[in-house]
Amino acid sequence: MNMNRTSQSRGGFRNKKRKRCPFSIAGIREIDYKDTDTLLKFVTEKGKILPRRITGVSAWHQRHLARAIKRARHMALLPFVAKH
Amino acid sequence: MSQENHNLYEGMYIISARLSDEARGKALAKITDAIVGHGGKIEKIHEMGRRRLAYEIESHREGYYYVIYFTVGASAIKEMWHEYHLSEDLIRFITLTTDEVKKKLEFKTLVEQK
Repeated sequence: MNMNRTSQSRGGFRNKKRKRCPFSIAGIREIDYKDTDTLLKFVTEKGKILPRRITGVSAWHQRHLARAIKRARHMALLPFVAKH
Repeated sequence: MSQENHNLYEGMYIISARLSDEARGKALAKITDAIVGHGGKIEKIHEMGRRRLAYEIESHREGYYYVIYFTVGASAIKEMWHEYHLSEDLIRFITLTTDEVKKKLEFKTLVEQK
């Protein structure tokens, strides 16, 4: 009867499957500022921190992630602003 | 000083890449000596090697990265902070409290999801 609603999209937006927190899945409880390869996945090309509405990171991990990125910036491991 | 609680710290230091190997060793020794001089103990030194800085710091483009795990009394951190700021060979540093000494600087990778 209900044509617009598919089985997996309970309250989902445009039938999109909700992303799960990548840190929770990997079982990471500690986000290290030295781990630049991981941190780079959560910043834009310009070096800005991506919002969790895009990355799907849980609130707890987003707070720790933001702290790690800011520490990495201080130690010149990540840029504050990327060139161009 | 000896009665004070000693905490475990993790420090990261960027030493100028313009120095010779010998001078860099001296600069690192100065850091470790400061820790020991304040009654601390070095647990582990990781050398991350020469890296390009993400942005220029006082016209430095490259630096040698070191991570040092050490224990020292809390009041020494403040004094060392002042000393480190006087050193020109030390471009930048960070001191954080930590729970454990990392034997290796390895990190868990994230799982790719569709």
